[in-house]
Amino acid sequence: MNKKGVIVGVIVVAIIAGITASYYSSQTETLNLDMGRTHGTISTAMGSPILGDPSAPITIVEFGDYQCEQCYAWFHETKPAIVRDYIDTGKVNLVFVDLAFLGKDSIPASMATYCAEDQEMYWEYHDLLYNSQESVDGGWANSERLKAFAYSLGLDFELFESCLDSEKYSKRVQYNIQQAKDNGIRGTPGFFIVGPDGQQKIGGAQPFSVFKNVLDSMI
Amino acid sequence: MIQTIKLVYSNFKYVVLASTIFVPMMIGLLILSEYIFLEPYVVAHLPSGSELGFVLIVIISALSALVIPMNIFRIKILKSSKQKMGGGIFGSIIGAASGVCSCGPIGFAVISTFGSVGAAATAFLTNYEIPLRIIAIVILAVTYFTTIKSLKVECNLNH
Repeated sequence: MNKKGVIVGVIVVAIIAGITASYYSSQTETLNLDMGRTHGTISTAMGSPILGDPSAPITIVEFGDYQCEQCYAWFHETKPAIVRDYIDTGKVNLVFVDLAFLGKDSIPASMATYCAEDQEMYWEYHDLLYNSQESVDGGWANSERLKAFAYSLGLDFELFESCLDSEKYSKRVQYNIQQAKDNGIRGTPGFFIVGPDGQQKIGGAQPFSVFKNVLDSMI
Repeated sequence: MIQTIKLVYSNFKYVVLASTIFVPMMIGLLILSEYIFLEPYVVAHLPSGSELGFVLIVIISALSALVIPMNIFRIKILKSSKQKMGGGIFGSIIGAASGVCSCGPIGFAVISTFGSVGAAATAFLTNYEIPLRIIAIVILAVTYFTTIKSLKVECNLNH
């Protein structure tokens, strides 16, 4: 009778532990991710949400760092024309993958964008970071400022703060950095234009004319 | 001053040396600073707001090409000390290092190799790119004028 009691007790404890573990796991790992998402040779599963029409035949995969001044230049000089002529017209979509390497604030900035994604504001937060960029590790992307950006966008502050402080998306950012290295990206910004017939690598903040030539040759 | 320059560059070897310093240095710095791209097409691009950086690269390359051969002339022909040569090379290195270490392949390699120390050095060179290039120009200019003065004295050009 005693033996049976011990066995039943162990089973009950195991069930409770399992339920508890799955509850906490779902609390910290609730990701709106398509784990099988790839573009060409790149796994973009842990990257940004898709900007533009998900069924567009061509995808631009951008590898970037929020503290990189060349990424800032590309964001302001080249990206608007690409969005206007290719993304808004449904010909192309874009995925951002973090290559956060420049300074100590680079990884927290990337993690913060995914905390914003939890509240469906990824691209708004992404754009705000590139519009607010200052010098590398100059304090503009420290924890307080990242939270202030969330506040200014009207995000649920407590939810965002707990996400950022717990480093919920640390592994996601590390995965993206590894994707960049595995695909031979050696600086930011770096791009792969992935079309139906292959992919073309573009390194650096190149002008719109280069992207136009590559994209037009794939359409 | 012109007399001194004529003295050095009347020897065609020094003209070739100056060109060999100027052209690769300028093109190299323009590539590393992302003013020129080689792939997938050769294209030159001057984003708005980066004009000053471009001009400073051209000035550093030109001054390096002017100062280094003059100091080599002093050392080879006049058997002078190598002290002033150091100023020219130091100025060129500062000018070259600032800016090229940001988010491009060199910065990436430095940070990957040296970790947080490399990141701190890269951040410094990136954040102070323009002041560092101006300092490099000042060092090269000082080296240029001291070299001219020294050549005038050593070659007795005033007589």
